[in-house]
Amino acid sequence: MKTSDGKAARSRYWLLAPIILLYGTLAVLPLTLIVTHAFEDGLDHFRTIASSVLFWPIVGNTVVISLCTTAAAVSLGYILAAAMWCSRPPLRRVLLAVTLLPFWSGVLVKNFAWSALLQDNGVINGLLQTLALRSAPLPLLHNRFAVVVGMVHYVLPYAVFPIFATMLGIDGTLTRAAESLGATRSVVLFQIVGPLTLPGVYAAALLVLIMAGGFFITPVLLGGPQNMMVANLVNYYANELVDFGSAAALAVTISIGVAVLMLLYHRIPKEGQYGRA
Amino acid sequence: MIPSRVREQAAGPKGADDAAHRPKAGRHLELLGVSKSYGSGRLVVRDVSFTLHPGKFLTLLGPSGSGKTTTLMMVAGFETPTAGHVRVNGADVAGLPPNRRNFGVVFQGYGLFPHMSVLQNVEFPLRMRRLSQDKRRDLAMAMLDKVGLEGFSGRRPAQLSGGQQQRVALARALVFEPDALLLDEPLGALDKKLRDTLQAEIKALQARVGISILYVTHDQDEAMMMSDEIAIMNDGQVIQMGAPADIYLHPRTAFVAGFLGETNLIPCVHCGSDGKIASVKFTDGTFGSGLEMRHDRERGEGKAGLLSIRPEAFEFLTGMATAPNQIDGRVSDYTFLGRHERYVVAALGQNVIVSQPGQGRPRVRIGDAVRLTWAGEKGQLLSRQT
Amino acid sequence: MGEPSPPARGGREAVAAPGRSGPSTSALLLLLSLPILGFLLLPSLIIVPMSLTKGNVIRFPPIWISTHAFWDFLGDDRWIASTLTSLKVGAFSVVLASVAGATAAVGLHRAGFAGKSVVLALIMMPLATPVIVLALADYIFFLRVGLVGTWVGIGLAHSVIVTPYVFVATQVSLATLNPAQVRSARSLGATNVALLRFVYWPTLRPGILAGIIFAFAISLDEVVIALFLQGPNATTLPVQMFTSLEYDPTPKVAAVACLLLAVALLASLAQLGLSARAGSR
Repeated sequence: MKTSDGKAARSRYWLLAPIILLYGTLAVLPLTLIVTHAFEDGLDHFRTIASSVLFWPIVGNTVVISLCTTAAAVSLGYILAAAMWCSRPPLRRVLLAVTLLPFWSGVLVKNFAWSALLQDNGVINGLLQTLALRSAPLPLLHNRFAVVVGMVHYVLPYAVFPIFATMLGIDGTLTRAAESLGATRSVVLFQIVGPLTLPGVYAAALLVLIMAGGFFITPVLLGGPQNMMVANLVNYYANELVDFGSAAALAVTISIGVAVLMLLYHRIPKEGQYGRA
Repeated sequence: MIPSRVREQAAGPKGADDAAHRPKAGRHLELLGVSKSYGSGRLVVRDVSFTLHPGKFLTLLGPSGSGKTTTLMMVAGFETPTAGHVRVNGADVAGLPPNRRNFGVVFQGYGLFPHMSVLQNVEFPLRMRRLSQDKRRDLAMAMLDKVGLEGFSGRRPAQLSGGQQQRVALARALVFEPDALLLDEPLGALDKKLRDTLQAEIKALQARVGISILYVTHDQDEAMMMSDEIAIMNDGQVIQMGAPADIYLHPRTAFVAGFLGETNLIPCVHCGSDGKIASVKFTDGTFGSGLEMRHDRERGEGKAGLLSIRPEAFEFLTGMATAPNQIDGRVSDYTFLGRHERYVVAALGQNVIVSQPGQGRPRVRIGDAVRLTWAGEKGQLLSRQT
Repeated sequence: MGEPSPPARGGREAVAAPGRSGPSTSALLLLLSLPILGFLLLPSLIIVPMSLTKGNVIRFPPIWISTHAFWDFLGDDRWIASTLTSLKVGAFSVVLASVAGATAAVGLHRAGFAGKSVVLALIMMPLATPVIVLALADYIFFLRVGLVGTWVGIGLAHSVIVTPYVFVATQVSLATLNPAQVRSARSLGATNVALLRFVYWPTLRPGILAGIIFAFAISLDEVVIALFLQGPNATTLPVQMFTSLEYDPTPKVAAVACLLLAVALLASLAQLGLSARAGSR
């Protein structure tokens, strides 16, 4: 303990009592309960869910949707981050502000807007018909496409920031050094700067992947019945089948998956994969 | 030595008009009337001219903001002069972007690529010049050998110490046999001992490789130690240029006298001259002498000036001895600094700094009345304006 | 080349973009970003016109123009009830979270003990845990203690999720606290309580406030946990919207969305103002 006054040191730790109480009763306890439920019959519950006819298709759907979302969000996020990085500070602040705006509207508002945009008599179809590009509406809603669009829209700001942060950390002297050694602009971009942004890209990808895997509302509102994701399955077990054991087992499985991804995330040194020269 | 066909392949980046820039021994770098101003009209570099002769070491020395780095950047091609020319062997390089100028640049912070190994860093310029993998490797390894980093080729820059990174930067800048090496305060971030070692190493490297070096620093010891010629810059202009000893012993302005080493500037009035040595009169009526000013038009009887006398030029007059140059004063401070001792003598209404070889016991005590003398040639008469 | 940059003086040049790419690359990137930014903003933009439709169906283009959706919302008991529930839940969770988060931040301030990083990670855990797992856990636990279907239950569950935000916001404020202040106060005889009141609290205020605003917004918007813990008397606004969207979509939903957007904008402005003040102290 680095505090010099012993009494002060002890009393300072009283300050941690509220949070310990809060987390203890409302996080640790319930989570332990879940683990207990999941393993109450050994691995039976896990076997139940694994053999369920819904499980593998839903897991597959979750993986596919998460990967598509990640790919799209990271690509678009890279462009935004690069645009911000290449702008002078005034413009950069504007771009940042606009990117941050969606943070403040909730997932429901967003999904609602997307369903309005994508539905058969929604904005996009209306626009297409007005422009006489199509006569029949495109099925844009209640399918995988809509779910991915909704998810990308939600996670995009989260993808931008790790990439942007990494870009900011790149030493400005490097581009001059490369040029003085004979590098053309494309060499500078693709061989010097580009590789140095990769750690940010990996970080963004993992972050988005972790988020995407846990989505609940978006698949329900924007997807069809065949687009259920794992979170929906937990709800199904808990509220429709009232099988808490299986629901708990699924929840534990999801947690393990996320934990593995998080471990991967922490193994990426976020700033300068190669250290600072 | 390196076979000539490899030399040719190690030539500057492609382009027929680059023929003039193929590396050969004996290439002059000239700056003629170079100026640089930014939007506000403020001149950051003013009418700078100098020539870097082949194989020579020229240092731009000056305080922060003197324009020395900007000048270097104009040579390298990262800044464009608003007036004047930069010429390599007579050919103006104005149209050439930095990646076609064939200079080796070492930046502050070195600019090593963190995602590449030491070897890949050093090979980089050779890769830009389309050398084959084998030739690249051979040349790079040879260069690493030369800077004493054989065995480090596989490491990443982050795994190296500051001094080692410095050497990799040097190796990388030299490996493609550039026309000249441009160094922008490369030793600033290192501690004194390391700086001293690397200064010697850079100098030795230059001797071995025979390359011209344009060096920028604000550290006058460094400049004196390494340079064949020093250009002292202040406020965007070159104030004085010459060999270190020349500038040190014959500063042309009070600024130069004070910037390079330490000096005492004693107000006086010019009252006679024999062409080489000038006689001056001090504020208390006593007389002294010093070297006449260089510029003829600044000479003038009755003109006020400053007599610059370096602390080590003084001697204490003991006993009954007298001398033609003599200043009376009282010792007000004494410090022992190892190699030399430093006295502060209150005389002529100012603090005169006197330096003597250290002997541990002060020659005079604080409070003593003393008489200082100096040889006429060791003083330099300077005009009052800097 | 690029725009001229001032000469480097000692230290590194902080040149990022201009050296990296000419103006053409920046222009290209900007051009590519515009549609992406449009994509980000578009949904929020269409909500407002949609809420002003005359009809009773959510459609675009809306039948201009009427504010009946807003009045319908205000007159609908269920919607008002859910709004009140959300406010109660939000306030409750924020109170709990700020007590827990702020005290923890103060308690851990400048504490150096082995495992501090583990403690910090544990505090931030709710951010990393998938919401569905927490929702299920709370549901099963609250079933046992009879808290399902109560706004108190939802509030308790929310408080865990939002505590990390208040914690971090408080930490940021604490970083501006001058340790010399604490030491001099102590040397002048201040007790711990006095210390908290006169030294810590003024510095923390803006940071905690910013954290509270953020936490409240999150609780207001949270849907999964509220869904699991809902009851006839404990339906939060998002849950009401969710149910409505699934079974009975009327322009009221658009009106609510519109109002929520407005609140969110106000909150973000307020928080910007507070963070600016907290950081500049």
